[in-house]
Amino acid sequence: MTERRRRYIRMYALVWFVLAVAGDIGLALGPTPPFQASDLASSQSTVIKILAVIAWPVFSAVVATIAFTLFGNRVAPHEGDIDPGKLRGDSRPQIAWISASIVIVLSLAVYGTVALASDQPGAGISTTSASLRQPASPSDPLEVQVIAQQWWFTYRYPTYGGVETPQLVIPVGQKIQFHVTSLDVVHSFWFYALGVKADAVPLNDNVFTVTPTQTGTYRVQCSELCGLWHGNMNADDAMVVSSSDFAAWIQQQQAMDAPILKYLPAYSHTYEPNPPAYGT
Amino acid sequence: MAAVAVATRGTAPPSLSRRLHEWGLALAVVGAAIGFFVGYALGSLAIGDGDNSLGSNAGILLGYSLSAVGFLAGMGFFNYPIARLLGRPVPTADDEAYLHGEGGGLARYFRLTTDHKVIGMQYVVAILAFLFVGGLGAMFIRTELLTPTPTTATAESYLTLVGLHSTLMIFMASAAIIGPFGNYFVPIMIGARNMAFPRLEALTFWLLPPAGLILLSTVFLGGFTTGWTGYAPLADQNVLGMDSYLIAFSLIGLSIMLSGLNMIVTVITLRAPGMRFTRLPIFVWGVFLTSFLGLLAAPALLGAIAMETFDRTYLATLFVPAGGGSPYLWENLFWFFGHPEVYIFILPAFGLIMEMLPVFTRRPLWGYRVAIGGLVGVTVLSFMVWQHHLFVSGLAPALRPFYMFSTEAISVPTGLIYLVALGSLWRARTRFSTPMLFIGAFLFNFLIGGFTGVFLSDVPSDFTLHGGYFVQAHFHYTIMGAEVFALMAGLVYYLPKMTGRTMDTRLTRFQFWAVFLSFNGTFLSLLSVGILGMPRRVISYAQYLQPLNVSATVFAYLLGGSMLLFLGILIWNVVIRPVPAKENPWESLGVEWHLPTPTPVYNFDTVPTKWSLPYEYDTGRVAADVGHPAPALGGATP
Repeated sequence: MTERRRRYIRMYALVWFVLAVAGDIGLALGPTPPFQASDLASSQSTVIKILAVIAWPVFSAVVATIAFTLFGNRVAPHEGDIDPGKLRGDSRPQIAWISASIVIVLSLAVYGTVALASDQPGAGISTTSASLRQPASPSDPLEVQVIAQQWWFTYRYPTYGGVETPQLVIPVGQKIQFHVTSLDVVHSFWFYALGVKADAVPLNDNVFTVTPTQTGTYRVQCSELCGLWHGNMNADDAMVVSSSDFAAWIQQQQAMDAPILKYLPAYSHTYEPNPPAYGT
Repeated sequence: MAAVAVATRGTAPPSLSRRLHEWGLALAVVGAAIGFFVGYALGSLAIGDGDNSLGSNAGILLGYSLSAVGFLAGMGFFNYPIARLLGRPVPTADDEAYLHGEGGGLARYFRLTTDHKVIGMQYVVAILAFLFVGGLGAMFIRTELLTPTPTTATAESYLTLVGLHSTLMIFMASAAIIGPFGNYFVPIMIGARNMAFPRLEALTFWLLPPAGLILLSTVFLGGFTTGWTGYAPLADQNVLGMDSYLIAFSLIGLSIMLSGLNMIVTVITLRAPGMRFTRLPIFVWGVFLTSFLGLLAAPALLGAIAMETFDRTYLATLFVPAGGGSPYLWENLFWFFGHPEVYIFILPAFGLIMEMLPVFTRRPLWGYRVAIGGLVGVTVLSFMVWQHHLFVSGLAPALRPFYMFSTEAISVPTGLIYLVALGSLWRARTRFSTPMLFIGAFLFNFLIGGFTGVFLSDVPSDFTLHGGYFVQAHFHYTIMGAEVFALMAGLVYYLPKMTGRTMDTRLTRFQFWAVFLSFNGTFLSLLSVGILGMPRRVISYAQYLQPLNVSATVFAYLLGGSMLLFLGILIWNVVIRPVPAKENPWESLGVEWHLPTPTPVYNFDTVPTKWSLPYEYDTGRVAADVGHPAPALGGATP
């Protein structure tokens, strides 16, 4: 190993190390993605941050190599006297690279699976029959049906006699179970602040469980192209409120809906309006 | 002797079939028109009254299908099969040479020819046309997104723009590398005098113009609102514009499939003696493996489209839950095609980049076998990852860890390709020529594309990032930032061979920095917009996202301008004021550079039999001895 080569490698290692450490410190201390209004959202934004911290050193190593080659060692086009350098690939860096990438991939997959399992036990269980149950105890999650159609969302609270509202209001600190479905085409229910995204597919019940941790007024929107007014299928009035405020609000809704609700069973676990006649 | 042959050919009056062949393009337009009206009339007859009820699209469907058939008939694609069916004498060598474009001059670029080099040039023009028409759509989209509420477009025209931009760009990307450079150089690189199925090769190209025009004609039929993914049951709901998308996309699917078949057979059967699989240039490997993807994935798309037309015309309700169908069927079939499709975009680009790297690092490709391993790994794994597009769709959660793992696992073979690139670059005394700039940018942009992919493969982070601008920026990094940059690198690199003309170095270098910086400005803005919660394909967005959207739009205008500059330099230096290129300006050892320019009609007078990898820059050995005196290597030229 010549002195020149050793110097080159030392310089490269130094540049990479500074880049990697500075970048990682910046990523770790810098802003977290601003959706943290639920247990799930906090964990997702942490996952994004951790992935960025893992990815950055690898990213900067590759960029440093490209930059070093292009700017550090270049010759003018057509300059003669080519130093062939090291000509044939030797197997050590290949084995090291392959093992390192396999280790990174395996750990990412394990980390992702663990994060998934702890966030969403049984998330997204899809059944064509409704899976809503009568709540057995107060600690059971509050079920909210999200009914998507072109081009708005309706929310139905089956535990409160099937009250339907155009506005989503949920209590803070309580486990919420969204049951997302659609009446016409495929939509996607996106509650950005809570980290909730679930496709709404007709005759399908897409379940997503989340516990809001911060009160506030948030935006919900459709994130799957669903036709002409997809861009306007959003609302800025979704609210996470205290349990007492929620109790008051839901009582008010029940009172408003009472003339209809008295014809419905006390607890209804299905929602089957007539599907719109096809082709008319 | 040769002079006599030319003289007799000149004096003999051209036969009727050759006259018709010369007017092929005009006949094709007439044929398309006739086909459309016949099909439309038949379809309308079958339906009866022309009301708006179910099945009223039969006229349009048949019209489009028969217009494509009429177009191909006018071009002359059915002459050969029909003559065989009728037992006419097989074409003579003279006929074949005529069809091959021998002595045809410039006019042969506008006809059906079986010369893979002419078809490569035709692809260059078609790809650039798709790219710039699609890019115009992007400019309109970005203009609309300057403001959070609709200003310049209506909801309808906006979604049609989104659909046209995305679908045209998918058409472009399906063939951006494999079309121009695959068709032109693969036969030369393997020592073949032509493709295995030359007529089929011409067909794969001539399917593109009808596909593009049929897709664009959607604006007369009310457009379509589904974007390029064509999700059912929204597609069932759409007006007649949807049928343009379905027919156009199936023509492209057919083209991808047939081109794959042709390339596979060519590489397997037409390699020159001595050209073993272990001596194939890495670009040929890229094209070869991509061809398997095209051949195996495109049928899923064709099937899904056939089912969708049944849904729309016969109320088959295959994708409509109310009728017992399932939207998941479309989603799975579509992405079973759609995910290999994105590797159809990028694998030939990987091959092209690795093919060019040794020319500028002046060293052998580091780890040729590792590169093949990487390409094979990506090819195999790409069929096992499609459900990562459906993580939030409500599929059984037990499936998620598998698709998360397989998606993350595909970064291992992709990493091998980076290992080869970095190994080739490591401590190399790189020549800083213009294509090398684009190669560096390709590696940088695809790196961002790959690393953003990790965030999307991880299910918990995908819950938020899915279906938003993060995804949009991610795949623009891989398609625009990588594939289109590889296309530009390839054009700068190969135009001297393909046309004998070269693009102005200083202008192209300026253009490179403009396109590189504006591209990253645009899509870094859009990555951020995605993390902040902006869904894709919306005409309205939350107020707080406006600053970043304005930044993306301003950079997008610069990006559009610098792409136009590229086209301007290309047209100016190649067509209007030709700048003659040196033979082998990059001092490559590839066999394609050691043939005369322009490349002889059948490439090789005698097919060389001694082959080596074209990367032996340590010994300076040319890939094959073709008997053409080439400029000496190593600084002999200024």
